[in-house]
Amino acid sequence: MRFENTSTVAARGDAVLKLENAKNELQALERIAETEVRSVAKAFEGLADYTDVIVELAAGIVGCVESENVSSVLPKVQTLGAAVNRFIGDRLRATPGILEMVTREVELLNRLSLITQAQRAIALQTGALRVLANIEVARLGEGSADFHYLAQELADFSESVFQDTKALDIHTRDRRAEIEKTKRVLSVELPELQEKLAGIEVELGKALAEVESSLTQLSKTPAQFRTGVQDIAQQVAGVVTAIQSDDITRQQIEHVTEAFTLVSARLADVERTPHTAARELSQAYVALTIQAYQLRSIKETIAGWTSQIRTCMDGIMRVSASEVVGIGPMVLDQERKVASHLTHIELLERDSQAYSERMQRSFSGLSNLMQLFRDHLQKSKSVSDRFQILSLNSIIKSSYLGQRGGAMLAIAKIIGETSEQWGEVTRQSSQAMQEILKLLDQSKGFVEAFSDARNQKLREAQTETRGGLETLRTAAVFAVEQSGEMKIATERMQANLGGVGKTGDLLDSCSGNLDAILAQVEGVRHQLKVEYPELDQPCDTSEVEKLFSASYTTEMERDVMRAALGGGPLPVVQQTFGGNAVELF
Amino acid sequence: MKRILTVDDSSSIRQMVNFTLTKAGYEVAEAVDGKDGLSKIGCGKFDLIITDLNMPNLDGIQLITAVRQLPGCSFIPILMLSTESQAEKKAEGKKAGATGWIVKPFNADQLVSVVQKLVK
Repeated sequence: MRFENTSTVAARGDAVLKLENAKNELQALERIAETEVRSVAKAFEGLADYTDVIVELAAGIVGCVESENVSSVLPKVQTLGAAVNRFIGDRLRATPGILEMVTREVELLNRLSLITQAQRAIALQTGALRVLANIEVARLGEGSADFHYLAQELADFSESVFQDTKALDIHTRDRRAEIEKTKRVLSVELPELQEKLAGIEVELGKALAEVESSLTQLSKTPAQFRTGVQDIAQQVAGVVTAIQSDDITRQQIEHVTEAFTLVSARLADVERTPHTAARELSQAYVALTIQAYQLRSIKETIAGWTSQIRTCMDGIMRVSASEVVGIGPMVLDQERKVASHLTHIELLERDSQAYSERMQRSFSGLSNLMQLFRDHLQKSKSVSDRFQILSLNSIIKSSYLGQRGGAMLAIAKIIGETSEQWGEVTRQSSQAMQEILKLLDQSKGFVEAFSDARNQKLREAQTETRGGLETLRTAAVFAVEQSGEMKIATERMQANLGGVGKTGDLLDSCSGNLDAILAQVEGVRHQLKVEYPELDQPCDTSEVEKLFSASYTTEMERDVMRAALGGGPLPVVQQTFGGNAVELF
Repeated sequence: MKRILTVDDSSSIRQMVNFTLTKAGYEVAEAVDGKDGLSKIGCGKFDLIITDLNMPNLDGIQLITAVRQLPGCSFIPILMLSTESQAEKKAEGKKAGATGWIVKPFNADQLVSVVQKLVK
């Protein structure tokens, strides 16, 4: 090996200078990194403080949501929704039947009018028969004793039927006028009500489904909040770990700079101790190879923990600023929605109440008619029986008179015919009574659909929901206070984090500086190889390994050294995100 | 409030130990090397010490050995926080009187959990 060559001496001198330069640059880089990391750590502590404030405020809201049992509002709203659906459904189903029922009642009342007309005609006919009977009684003179009562009976019948029919006729007329008015109004209003109810059913259905969905979301808030807090805690742990990695990098850099000093000394010793020159040069060359590997490892290490800091702090910002801060406005929104729907339902109930009252009036009017007609029918049946008896008696008594009783017999026969007519009218009345009863029965169903009793379940559901609304309101008031403070804390946090981004950029620039230092080291290696081609040959590296092993303080440095000596690839930097566990002795 | 001393020549390590344990409710004092640490221990009472291994002016092993000889400090818990993970180094630390060993970087939750266990 030639060591006394001018070129080689110059090359070694140049190498020493370059290594000294590289050492200074590395030390400067380490100082910059340390300063920047200290700054990042300070900013991180500030960020963590803000995050603690935000999380505490959010925890307050979540705690309030849990302690006020906001999750209990959801089943109440669901019950309210079901009650509203039933309320509207009952009315929608009843509405078409109501109009039909009113129309049928008008027809029935027309038939009743015809019946009363027929009865009035029979009453008049009975009156005429009374007059004829009186004339015949006068004509018969002494033989007419049996027929006095006949004339009286006919007078009573006539009067009683006339009065009874008159009363029924008046009531029927009044009832018809009322029901026709009701029919006119309902013909317009009921289809409108139907349309309105159908629309409300759809609208309320959608709205309550929305509230249900939001309340379901709100009830998941505590679990989501806890997940968010865990997420934040993980990100914080990531930053704490990453910042510590600066110490590892610092040690690596220190060992590389120490190695440069060692190599420079070796290169200088070549001249002073020529008998060991080959070994010195060889060791210096191997040492430089190791340092090139270490510099690449340092570059990757810095890139790794810088990226981790950036990612984790972004993560803290994202969770704190959005998922946690959003809890307060969500609670407020729910309170407003539920309150609005309750008001809407109350208005619906009031509107429906007007129809309910109308239904009630109509029902009681029909009921009164039924009662009156039942009394009238009873009387009709009694009159029918008496008519038949009267007719029979009159025919028998007339026959006793022989030829003299001819006129009375004729009257008796007419009474018989009248009795049959009355029987027919009574039969028609009986049929009409059945119709009235059928109508009453059907109307009960419709009236019930609009009744107070049916509303009871809806009112109960409303009361329960109002109670739930109080719960939401309490949580909302608290959320308003907390949200305001969270907003301020979030804005300050975001302003604070803005500065950290720039710090991360400065650490990124260290990568470029390391590349330059690495280029210098490779340059020195190359220069030495050119001047001393023998350096390419394999040599004993055990002494070098022993020398550096002693100074290394991390397993990573030892792994990198072994890779450099074996000519293998650079070991992958294993970054533990959360850090290492504690081992107790 | 329980007091903890963190001894490390790295400011970033001291900062993170301080941050983690202050959030957990402890009072944390710092020393920049073994000599500074020993001086502070001599002046004040600490419930736990966390020390680095490789430091100028008295390394971690020397610090632990010195602390164990101080009156009233035989049983104070001492955790070694180091980049070293070799079994020989851990054995050396245990022999000197260390209570436990943490390889850098430490896990914050784990550190708090162990500190809570050791400092009652």
